[in-house]
Amino acid sequence: MISRVAENCFWMSRYLERAEDTARVLDVNHALLLDLDVPLEQQWRPVLIISGIHDFAQEAAAEVVQNYMTWDEDNPCSIAASLAAARENARIIREVISAEMWERLNYYHLWIQGPVARELYQKNRSEFYGQVRRINPLVHGIAEGTMAHGEAWEFFQFGMYLERACQTARILDVKYHTLLPTSEDVGTPIDNAQWVAILMSCSGYEPYTKRQRNSIDPGSAVADFLILDRQFPRSVRHCLAECLRAARGIAAREPGENEGEVEAHLCSALEWLDNNDIRSLIRAGLHESLTSVVTRVHAIGDVVRRTYFEARVEARPPVERLQTATANGMAQSQKQS
Amino acid sequence: MMLHGQAVPEIARMKAEPASAADRLFSRYRGHPAAFDEFFRWQTEPHDHCRLLVDKLGALDVAEFQQRRAGADLTFVNQGITFSVYSDRRGVEKIFPFDLIPRPVAASEWTKVEKGLLQRIQALNLFLHDVYHEQRILREGIIPAELVLKSKGFRPEMMNFEPPGRQYVHVCGTDLVRDGEGNLLVLEDNGRTPSGVSYVLENRVVMKKVFPALFEHCRVKRVEDYPQRLRNALASVAPNGASDPPFMVLLSPGPYNSAYFEHSFLARHMGIELTLGQDLFVHDDKVFLKTTHGPRRVDVIYRRLDDDFLDPEAFRPDSLLGVPGLMRAYRAGNVTLANAVGTGVADDKAVYPFVEDMIRFYLSEEPVLKNVPTYICDRDQDRAYVLDHLDELVVKSVNESGGYGMLMGPFASAKERSDFATAIKASPRNYIAQPLVMLSTCPTWTEDGLAPRHVDLRPYIVSGRSTWVLPGGLTRVALKAGSMVVNSSQGGGSKDTWVIEGWR
Repeated sequence: MISRVAENCFWMSRYLERAEDTARVLDVNHALLLDLDVPLEQQWRPVLIISGIHDFAQEAAAEVVQNYMTWDEDNPCSIAASLAAARENARIIREVISAEMWERLNYYHLWIQGPVARELYQKNRSEFYGQVRRINPLVHGIAEGTMAHGEAWEFFQFGMYLERACQTARILDVKYHTLLPTSEDVGTPIDNAQWVAILMSCSGYEPYTKRQRNSIDPGSAVADFLILDRQFPRSVRHCLAECLRAARGIAAREPGENEGEVEAHLCSALEWLDNNDIRSLIRAGLHESLTSVVTRVHAIGDVVRRTYFEARVEARPPVERLQTATANGMAQSQKQS
Repeated sequence: MMLHGQAVPEIARMKAEPASAADRLFSRYRGHPAAFDEFFRWQTEPHDHCRLLVDKLGALDVAEFQQRRAGADLTFVNQGITFSVYSDRRGVEKIFPFDLIPRPVAASEWTKVEKGLLQRIQALNLFLHDVYHEQRILREGIIPAELVLKSKGFRPEMMNFEPPGRQYVHVCGTDLVRDGEGNLLVLEDNGRTPSGVSYVLENRVVMKKVFPALFEHCRVKRVEDYPQRLRNALASVAPNGASDPPFMVLLSPGPYNSAYFEHSFLARHMGIELTLGQDLFVHDDKVFLKTTHGPRRVDVIYRRLDDDFLDPEAFRPDSLLGVPGLMRAYRAGNVTLANAVGTGVADDKAVYPFVEDMIRFYLSEEPVLKNVPTYICDRDQDRAYVLDHLDELVVKSVNESGGYGMLMGPFASAKERSDFATAIKASPRNYIAQPLVMLSTCPTWTEDGLAPRHVDLRPYIVSGRSTWVLPGGLTRVALKAGSMVVNSSQGGGSKDTWVIEGWR
């Protein structure tokens, strides 16, 4: 497929997932604060920090932060901006996605830009975030049943799982920012209800309870579940394994052919998880371990870009002497971006 | 909120329990005092081919019509069938206003129009081939050579080049207007990159959703085949050595272009890739597409990019939208461009007055469709007349389109007229003038109910090894009362055009 189109597809998917996960983060934080006495500055600033926003100029008050992360069009992490970006990517590749997908995406974009969503946000915040959280699964469900499961589909899957791996790491990190500011506090027994809240916000409460973990404290058990579980669809390990599956689908290599850089990065991340258990990750510092997940995800995104989006046409030349043409093509694509 | 969920009552049922006469759709409609009406012969007497349409539509009451209208608008918004307006930083998208009252055309009249359009496109193609080869028509003085050779659309790069299949204008949108006597006249030929056909197709989809029963009774010629017709036409003129089937792409200026929706629509329905300039490159005079699995050879490019932006090596060097080296590949015969480069010389407004002469010259036939009478300001005698009669004429700048650079003499102020007079004297080659044609009207929904609004008609002509005309075309309607400017950029809307074959 066209490199640029693959890129739009990948990012449409990431933005959709991001909108969902931002709603999850705002929701879980809200739920956590209902039952806890946390100093004002520690209530909402962590939500900004995990989205990589370190220079927020205003006071990090509840309404200010929620407004900024939900509506601000100039904040690329806000829900409205993520949905707008997903929809703009979809509009550009309207000929690649199915009509049903486009109609739904367009519909939700118009919904969040209109008065109905605003009113719901004012009247019933948790239902509002609930609605936002349903958009991504709905679009993915429609995609599954209406879009050809070819290369574009694999990029769509890849984007979703890569973004989700990162976001699960971040959601878990909020908990540690908020409840356990220093690594010495990790593993201390705290209110079980808080862990239930975080699991529920990841839709992981019921799958989690089916696992028996008598030997470790609930905090470590939840972290174990959200990072290392092989079956839970939002765990870091599961997401990265799905990314690898999609990456192999895209590469479509002949038997015996060497794997490329994208697959190699994903294999290395999965090996790192295989060689650790939750105890060793906590020993290394859970915040540090989660940061490592985020860094690896960024590196993978980078390799995907270099491999597939930046049209390195010399990769498999159909004719000889293609290098000159490559240089021309690259120069133009850079000027345009 | 969604249209799809809502039951659409059948018109037949509506007829069984008619609304009170005052509330019916056409009961208060009064035609335009001077214009030809597309529905009514005189005030309440429909043309023969409109009789049943008026019956069926007229059975609707106003409230019911309003409801369906709101539903149709919502469909356009939800499907994102929009065009961009450039002023906003995020690019505001608007829906192209759509009027639910169709514009009827009798099948018998359509037969003649089709014949006229086929004749015209054949002549235009022969003209382009001639201009870029022997230039017989110039040497024999049928058209002043200077007029053609100094046209902005003339491309010396095309001299002595034979485009694949000898075809230049693969897609032509010819604007027709109907005068006060009911004659259909050609207003202009758009032979570069005409747009609007996606609205024809989408309008039909919406009409079928909103008025399903009407289509059960009325035999309307199909428009839905257009994308496949275009695909086949382009494939038929693929260059020698193309793969089988030829690999074809649409080249768009990009998502910020006002017609991007249409580019995406056509790519989707033709089943070809939508590309931007940055996706293509030229190596060894061949065109390649950059894909995730390396370069892929391209055979045919349906380009929706003007000549100027096509290739920075050949034309505007500052163009980032084009593909460097594309002209080399084209001239080497390794790729088909549709439309061909240099067709602008045939849709130059200063060349337009000679199209009837072209038909006589190349085909030895009389034109089936007549031009609007036109004064060429470059001719001394014509110019003198134009300057004397500015208050009666429409003056057009030959290099503008979309309703820009135009003087509507009868409605202009004295200052506007004197500004145009100065401009005409300064560069006569740049202006033509035509008597104001009293465009025909069609009943159109307005705030005051149905009222006559002026319309034109743009049929689309698709040519590969053979030529096909889309039955009907885009009817554009000036939504402002009294306005004769139908362009979307000037507040125009559109209607579905029905070539009516009969009733069942």
